[in-house]
Amino acid sequence: MRDRARPSLLAVIALAAVAAWIAADLGDGAKATAESTTPEAGTRVARSVCEAHELRELQKKDPDLKVDFGEFKDATWPTRAACLSHAAAGDPDAPGPLQPIQFSHKHHAGLYQIDCQYCHSGTDRSPSAGVPATEVCMGCHAQFPASYDELEGIRTLKDHWAKKQPIEWVQIHRLPEYVQFQHRAHVRAGFACQECHGKVETYDKLPLVEETVWWPWLLPAHKLEMGWCIDCHRRNNATQDCAACHY
Amino acid sequence: MAELDRREFLKLVGTSAGAAAAVGCSDLPEKLIPYVVQPEEITPGLPVIYASTCQECSAGCGVHVRTREGRPIKLEGNPEHPINRGKLCARGQAGLGRTYHPDRYQSALERDASGALAPVAWDQAIARLGAAVSAAGRRTAVLTSPLGPTLSGLLDSWLAATGGGMRVEYEPFAPEALRHAAEVVFGVASVPVFDLSDTDFVIDFGSDCLSTGLSPVEHARQLSAARDAAKESARAARLVYVGPRLDETASQSDEWLAPKPGTEGILALAIARAAVDAATGPDGEIGVAASAIARQLSGFGADAVAARTEVPAETIRRIGASLARARRPVALPPGVALSSSRATSTAAAVLFLNAAIGAVGHTVQVPPAPSRAPSFRDTTRLIEAMKAGDVDVLIVHGANPVHTLPSASGFAAALGKVKLVVSIASMPDETSALAHLVLPDHTTAESWGDAAPRPGVRSIVQPTLRPLYDTRAFGDTLLDTARAIGAAAAANLPAGSFRSAVEAAWKDTNWRAALQRGGVFDGGAWSSPGIAEGVARLQFKEPEIAGDGDFVLLAVPSPMLGDGRGANLGLLQETPDPITKIAWQSWAEISTKSADSLGVRPGDVLAVETASGKLEVPVWPRGGLRNDVVAIAFGQGHTVGSFAAATPDEYSTGLRAGERPAPGPARGVNVNAILPAQSDESGGRAFLVAKAKVGKTGRFQRLPYTQGTDNKRGRLLGESISLAALAAGGPSPWAPNETPGHVPGALAAVPAAAEHGETGERRAAAGHGGEHEILRAYDPVNDSVAEDPYRWGMTIDVDKCTGCSACIVACAVENNIPTVGESLILRNRTMQWIRIERWIGEGEPVLEPARPDVESREQLGNVDVRNAPMLCQHCGAAPCEPVCPVFATYHSPSGLNGMTYNRCIGTRYCSNNCPYKVRRFNWFDYQIERWPDPMGLGLNPDVTVRAQGVMEKCTFCVQRIQAARLTAKGEKRAVAAGEVQTACQQTCPTGAIVFDNLKLADNKAGAAANANAGRTYHALHPVNTRPAITYLAKVAREEGHEA
Repeated sequence: MRDRARPSLLAVIALAAVAAWIAADLGDGAKATAESTTPEAGTRVARSVCEAHELRELQKKDPDLKVDFGEFKDATWPTRAACLSHAAAGDPDAPGPLQPIQFSHKHHAGLYQIDCQYCHSGTDRSPSAGVPATEVCMGCHAQFPASYDELEGIRTLKDHWAKKQPIEWVQIHRLPEYVQFQHRAHVRAGFACQECHGKVETYDKLPLVEETVWWPWLLPAHKLEMGWCIDCHRRNNATQDCAACHY
Repeated sequence: MAELDRREFLKLVGTSAGAAAAVGCSDLPEKLIPYVVQPEEITPGLPVIYASTCQECSAGCGVHVRTREGRPIKLEGNPEHPINRGKLCARGQAGLGRTYHPDRYQSALERDASGALAPVAWDQAIARLGAAVSAAGRRTAVLTSPLGPTLSGLLDSWLAATGGGMRVEYEPFAPEALRHAAEVVFGVASVPVFDLSDTDFVIDFGSDCLSTGLSPVEHARQLSAARDAAKESARAARLVYVGPRLDETASQSDEWLAPKPGTEGILALAIARAAVDAATGPDGEIGVAASAIARQLSGFGADAVAARTEVPAETIRRIGASLARARRPVALPPGVALSSSRATSTAAAVLFLNAAIGAVGHTVQVPPAPSRAPSFRDTTRLIEAMKAGDVDVLIVHGANPVHTLPSASGFAAALGKVKLVVSIASMPDETSALAHLVLPDHTTAESWGDAAPRPGVRSIVQPTLRPLYDTRAFGDTLLDTARAIGAAAAANLPAGSFRSAVEAAWKDTNWRAALQRGGVFDGGAWSSPGIAEGVARLQFKEPEIAGDGDFVLLAVPSPMLGDGRGANLGLLQETPDPITKIAWQSWAEISTKSADSLGVRPGDVLAVETASGKLEVPVWPRGGLRNDVVAIAFGQGHTVGSFAAATPDEYSTGLRAGERPAPGPARGVNVNAILPAQSDESGGRAFLVAKAKVGKTGRFQRLPYTQGTDNKRGRLLGESISLAALAAGGPSPWAPNETPGHVPGALAAVPAAAEHGETGERRAAAGHGGEHEILRAYDPVNDSVAEDPYRWGMTIDVDKCTGCSACIVACAVENNIPTVGESLILRNRTMQWIRIERWIGEGEPVLEPARPDVESREQLGNVDVRNAPMLCQHCGAAPCEPVCPVFATYHSPSGLNGMTYNRCIGTRYCSNNCPYKVRRFNWFDYQIERWPDPMGLGLNPDVTVRAQGVMEKCTFCVQRIQAARLTAKGEKRAVAAGEVQTACQQTCPTGAIVFDNLKLADNKAGAAANANAGRTYHALHPVNTRPAITYLAKVAREEGHEA
């Protein structure tokens, strides 16, 4: 309920400019290489399945590239897609907060087309969509080859599971406290999750929802603001009674 | 430094600005913490309900605990439970506050060298207790409140295994006199069960059965059904109250007799004699063992007794005759306030009366005697042993004897002679503050346990959340201590935890089914007892009330705080006393006549002095009291506890979030300080034992009362109609008000349409839709959009409302309503969405400009009290709506008067324009300042917590309406009649509140109004608000319309 004053635009721009210069300066030195090159004879050595995938790709483009795949010669798990999504989900430069696990919606909901409600179960019954319990993650991941553990996110997941410690995700979609949103009503009415949440299945790392819609003059329009809700309610002839959501 | 072109620069600036704005506006990042393993029955966002048992008093009502994501958030009565049938009182509703109490002990504590309580490891604490108990052996004592059967059995075995210490069961307000009287009269030492269902004549000898009696929820429910005015008038039960003070039950009665305090038993005998005399011929038999009783009655003729009791002889004869004629009469024996030094014979006299009118075996049942019952005599013996230095270890569980025993008993001083005092309390009280070792118990919501309120009712207590702190169930503390003492001690006790002991005790039942239902209820059909021989030896005479002074000190249980155990729950402190409407304080009641002769006005501090001590307490003169009585309620006077003890003014000392005010002096007074430690003939504690001198101190203390006047000054509020007028049939006398103007032709003459045109437009713009005349006949259904399938409305029966205030507490728990504290109540800044207006008599038709500050229109002996619950009327033409400059309050398509908090800018115009004064303003951020951790855990997540500067009011529990609408929509149907229950309706023990969708043909609110069409009215309707709430007037049951 507490509305904070928005920071003045000028102050934000000034601060951001300073931050941008610093970030640009640091950016050069901080760039890490994904694989290492052995100095002698230019042979490159794969030190993980993911590296092996990347070197194989490079080899396709450049058949002269010498690669020592070593023990990862025939390794297929994790898949290259998993490796890429994992890296992208953990990319600190991508929009959105870093999550405790490099979880990619693009990988799970996009590539493997797992239904949203497989994990966010109860969405059609409950006002809240909920975040899946660690057990739901482990339902699949416990059956995967051990080689998957080379992904940091999988190790974090298994570590939390072993310690029976919940994963503390950072909230992306946040409604103000004075709004009572009913997931079940919208799911039952046949609305796709994407109508409000955007094309989640195309994102490796989810941005804050506020950043998803832009006004022309570079200020964020908050997608979860009331005008946006009521616009859809009008189009679909749904209730426009204040007390339907505000109580 | 890398080059940064313009395009890149703008992109970066945009991103950062976005991030900064996002963080600034919406408190990100917030964490989402899912389950590791989600329990099968839990879907986040949906409630899970568990059956359990209320432990706030010994009535043993069944509750349904509504939990969300593993946290209990609301208690509601268990509809299957035979005692309360889905209803709950104010104290029960507030019970969850104990679990989320900021004062709770969070670990075991031990008194360190400096004398302060410091945390100690449980193992260490248990080892210390074990060593002390094994050293003390028989010099151990355990003082507990009445325990459930399993815990009680465990404690017995524990005492046997650890050296045979003393066990004392202590309940400050236990009906000991009644139990002993039953032993004398029936030969069975058990508390009789009084069944008021389907009765036609109740005479209560001062037990205040609707509020603080044996089983208030049960009796209120039964009596209201028996008195239902919609039934044929001849069957509506008559209620006669006997007692010196017009209390909650008396204010509901048809006739109030105020005999000389202490003579209630003699009066009962005279009435019994009159009943026997009236019943002539073959109908004249007066039940079992008539002769034994008849002999006893012979000395109590109406004329002789009239002089002794100050009740006219003709009244005695008339009531006796009525009782003799009654089909299913019942007489209730005195409660705490009237327990004199002859309480047992007084209770026996009332049982005589029951026998004489043939109630025994019908409305009075005598269950088999329990194996153990609370005993004041044992408590006294324990104090003597402590004083003599014969007790080395004292374990106190579930009781606060330092506060609830008379100071004259010397308990606090005797504690000093005990080497090790162990408290099992879950939050600090006056007794645990003196303990050497605190081994905190789980709260009821965290505990396993069981209760057997009466034979045939076995009720279960199951935990609904994981213990919040490092506490331990008392049963487990006992088991662990025995194991610490050694294998020999542990050998005779159950292996495993206390939980497994409970399950083992229930192994003769279907455990899972019992958990689901809340217990096993197989009813109790008990054989009708005969009259025992001891009857002949009983002696009846007036008790001696010692001391000098002109006043008899009447110490009454507090309807909200009980014996004081509710005093540390802010919700109960803030709920005004049903009679005086005072919250957060103590007061002394004297009659207006006494006040005049003393020369005191409300709030003047009196000195009340007995032989045992002196108290200074503000006076509250009222009419409903004998002139020779000064009444002070139990419950206040605590020196320990955030809410129980006085705190400095939280809002003027500049406390910030998280800061806690330092404990101040005692809040109010503890009447135990001036009561002598005295018992009756059978050893139970006597309360009506002292005379008091009352004098002025010259000081003044403003009392936080919430209703400025009991005089409605002829306005359409709290109405009353005589049973004769009702029986004559015809429309309600207030029907002319249904058309505003209520003068023929006035409607046409009012130039309203043009003048108020702007108002109409505004209301249409606010979502009301459709054409509206400003003035028209009352028809609430048309005050919602025609296409909308709903128009929510309510019917409130003023005749059924007893003023018990359960609705107030239920509403506060359901809707996250904060408590504001004494200082803000004094500034009229109460936040409760529903209040109970207590009107007396008709009132003068005009408003007097120079009225006194407070007046009492109660007349001794003349009962005309109307309790009218007042909440937002959800008017069809709501005066609050057109004055809101921002459309924060508006008329919803379903006819609700909506309140959109996030739109509100706090002009308070709406409140100023509301004729009912039901709107509440958040002067402070109560959510921060008034809900210290962990109170926030108990909030209802379905209801917004309002912030500073926002107006709020009753929403008709719109969150429940929305939940029902969505459920119905999912099942492709409309919400059925009776499907939505508001919190106030759900808990109302008498069923006075009925809520429903007025557009349904079979809606229950409309049905209740139709069945009572002769007494409907709409509060203040002459101002043309078209309220959605229909009131049913109080019925005055005049003499001659009784059975």
